[in-house]
Amino acid sequence: MGETPMSRMGETPMSRTGETPVSRWIRWSKFMANEEAILKDLTGRFAFLEGKGRVARARRIFVEVPAEKWAEVFDYAVTQAGFTILCTITGLDLGESFGAIYHLSKVEGEVLNLQVNIPKAKPELQTIIGYFPAAELYERELVDLLGVQILGLPPGHRYPLPDDFPQGLYPLRKDFKAEMLDAPSPERQAK
Amino acid sequence: MHWSSILWALFQILIFPGLLFLVALALAAEFVDRKLYARLQNRLGPPWFQPLADLIKLLAKQEVVPDLADKFMFVVTPMFALTAAVTASFYIPIWSHQALCSFPGDVIVVLYLLTIPTITFFLGGWYSRSVYSMIGAARSIMQLFAYEIPLFLAILAPALLAGTWSLSGMSLFYAHRPLLSLLNLLGLAIALVALLGKLERVPFDAPEAETEIVAGSFTEYSGRLLALFRLAIDVEMVVGASLLAAVFLPFGMDFGPVAGFGLYLAKILAVISMLSLMRTLFARLRLDQMINFCWQIAAPLAFVQLMADLVAKGTIARGVMIP
Amino acid sequence: MGKNPEPRGVRVAIGPQHPALKEPESFSVLLAGEKILESGVRLGYNHRGIEKACEERTYVQDLYLIERICGICSHSHSTAFISAVEEIAGLEIPRRAKYLRMLIGELERVHSHLLWLGVAGHEVGFDTLLMYTWRDREVVMDLLAALTGNRVNYGVNTMGGVRRDVSEDQKKQVLTAVDILEERTKYYIGVATQETTLIQRLSGVGKLNHEDAIHLGAVGPTARASSVKRDVRKDDPYLAYDEIPFNVVTSDHNDIYGRAVVRCLELMESYNMIRFIIANMPEGPIAVKAPRKVPAGEAISRYEAPRGEDVHYVRANGSEKPERVKVRAPTLANVQVVSHMLKDGYLADLPIVVAAIDPCFSCTDRMIAVAGDMAAINMGGTAFPGCADAGSKARATWEQVRQHGIEFYRRRGVDFARLNETFTAGGR
Repeated sequence: MGETPMSRMGETPMSRTGETPVSRWIRWSKFMANEEAILKDLTGRFAFLEGKGRVARARRIFVEVPAEKWAEVFDYAVTQAGFTILCTITGLDLGESFGAIYHLSKVEGEVLNLQVNIPKAKPELQTIIGYFPAAELYERELVDLLGVQILGLPPGHRYPLPDDFPQGLYPLRKDFKAEMLDAPSPERQAK
Repeated sequence: MHWSSILWALFQILIFPGLLFLVALALAAEFVDRKLYARLQNRLGPPWFQPLADLIKLLAKQEVVPDLADKFMFVVTPMFALTAAVTASFYIPIWSHQALCSFPGDVIVVLYLLTIPTITFFLGGWYSRSVYSMIGAARSIMQLFAYEIPLFLAILAPALLAGTWSLSGMSLFYAHRPLLSLLNLLGLAIALVALLGKLERVPFDAPEAETEIVAGSFTEYSGRLLALFRLAIDVEMVVGASLLAAVFLPFGMDFGPVAGFGLYLAKILAVISMLSLMRTLFARLRLDQMINFCWQIAAPLAFVQLMADLVAKGTIARGVMIP
Repeated sequence: MGKNPEPRGVRVAIGPQHPALKEPESFSVLLAGEKILESGVRLGYNHRGIEKACEERTYVQDLYLIERICGICSHSHSTAFISAVEEIAGLEIPRRAKYLRMLIGELERVHSHLLWLGVAGHEVGFDTLLMYTWRDREVVMDLLAALTGNRVNYGVNTMGGVRRDVSEDQKKQVLTAVDILEERTKYYIGVATQETTLIQRLSGVGKLNHEDAIHLGAVGPTARASSVKRDVRKDDPYLAYDEIPFNVVTSDHNDIYGRAVVRCLELMESYNMIRFIIANMPEGPIAVKAPRKVPAGEAISRYEAPRGEDVHYVRANGSEKPERVKVRAPTLANVQVVSHMLKDGYLADLPIVVAAIDPCFSCTDRMIAVAGDMAAINMGGTAFPGCADAGSKARATWEQVRQHGIEFYRRRGVDFARLNETFTAGGR
């Protein structure tokens, strides 16, 4: 059988109940809705992505994009490659740098995870609310919890931290300790 | 005037059939309403003394007057509400054809006295100066203009036919011509619906819609003042039910006080049950939907009732139909 | 007359504490009479620091912490999380375990949708519907208690499978309950499609057209009521959903009425799915042995929770604790749509428009450590050691809160400090 999508998933073919030829065809076509082709399309168009991407399993593609080229790749993925659903944005503290993973999905179910790393010294990202208005809250999470600057984000309520949360403390950073909240901050002393 | 007649008048006003009796009846009515509502919803419902317990609890609680509120109006309006509702009951015949007080034109007075509680809801809410209260107050007064016309038409139509503006006179007229009161069934239905609006109950409870504006006009009220308002609404329910019973169901008032009184209780029980049933069956209408309903459906139907009564009056006058 | 840049009106705060809201969040609306000119949402009142807390606990501990993100869709969160972890660990769970997870998942959807129906009734002042649906919801709650031991937060998932099997008796119990519920649901569909005042309150309210639903990223029944045919169970099947026949229910009403219809019909779909699951439940073990440490890697798992798509991202670093856990609850995607739907609506419609997305704000707000003033309030006024000046603004430090928690449970016979040691020492 060789490298079938099924064996790639670590799944063993077994007798399935309640399956019609049509539903079997739909299921198989889904497995074969080739993630490799999507990845090849991306690397073909953007040579710098060579070796940066991998297919984790059926419908799961992870790609690491250099920060300076990120806007280009993102625009292509959303407007031309058909990844029209934004699942969420995950912020990461990678020690030397911050990471942001944009989880994009096709209507058919393939998920493209575009990771971009930005230096801690200059943690700036462009906003994507032009593509996805719903991204506003995800981006505010990056701002509040990791201290990433989002360029182009309109002013608004902070989310998700309370308004009187101490400045300069970012809970999802690895060096954050809950005890830091007890340290007297200028704001609290003013109270 | 002899002192004993003054005492007798005081007894009538304060104890029976005045204030105390009315309060007891109102609490009983609230219990019936709540119990029935609960049973229809598959719930257990409160024990019989719950309304009284609630009243006592509220009376014992501290009352808070908001800083921004107009103190005088805030305190005075609940008293006006209760007074007006109780006063209205004096003109309604209960178990005989003769009400406690009666004069030609008292039906108009009763209708206006029953309007006063709604006005006090408006004033009390407005002078609370809280956003929710003011929205509730505005809704109360808008709703008043919607249900008042159908209610007045529905109650004045039978009066036109009876040829008297006195409730006692009307009840005497219809008691001797029971068939004619069948003509007013449409009016009864309209009055019932309008009464729902007057009492601000589902489906017409937009003025105190809990999920939108907390408690509307009553948001800032607490303690004794809230107790007075709640009591006023309960009394209004009993008086409204009595009014409907006197105008539309004037049977059995000649059987003497005891049987008459029993029948009276049965009649207002029936009206209150209808009110509870409607509360169970419907969702809350939005204010604009409520006003549309009152003006587009209830008011024209009330006009139909009015025309029917006028035609009937004409035929009786010409001797075509002798009831 | 030019367009007024500063609309004049009354600003009304709905929340953070308000009878219409079952959880704290804040809607600020600008009213002109009864009409809503504009509205703003402020979230974040429910932050409990769960994402951060997950980084400091083992995977198994996380599983039960994650389950407590939300009391209603708890199984959704725990399944989404554990699926991601199992994917990283390369664990293939037994088919019977998949079926059991789906069974609980669909029962959870049933109880969640019935709950929504009641809440919707209450928001439009139709309390009778609330009382009826919540009474019938008890059937499925009791069933869940019988199957898992808990009415909510079932705790049925574990790494590598599930913790409880279903006996033949219980299968019969499920089928009986489903029959009862199906009959009741048919009755509610009748109520929703025939009761005039209810239809008046629901139809044409909270409009969201097809394009906006896609553009604003609506998920779940909210999107499906605008004919967006998206359902993770179909598009990106997890567990064994690709083996179960079911329809993705959509509606083209684009309003709250459509959302009610979608949820009611989804209930009917769920009943059929539960029957299928029971009839085709494979034999075999319910769990495989799972390693304590998970190799480095990352995975994203999507789950169709009752409210919409639930996204969990897990990054492992080779130890027994995850490097990063990210949760995106469906409400976070849908809450942006609310402001859009409220525009030019009536104040009277605000509660039902908000309720129509079936919001779950404790799912939405997860993170941030509770400390300072909030901690003192949270502990219900219990006196802390070191908080002698309780009369003034008593504040507990983080360490005090932690110690208090440990002491609190130790007095009840549970020793979390020791529990931690046993976990990290490797024994169970």
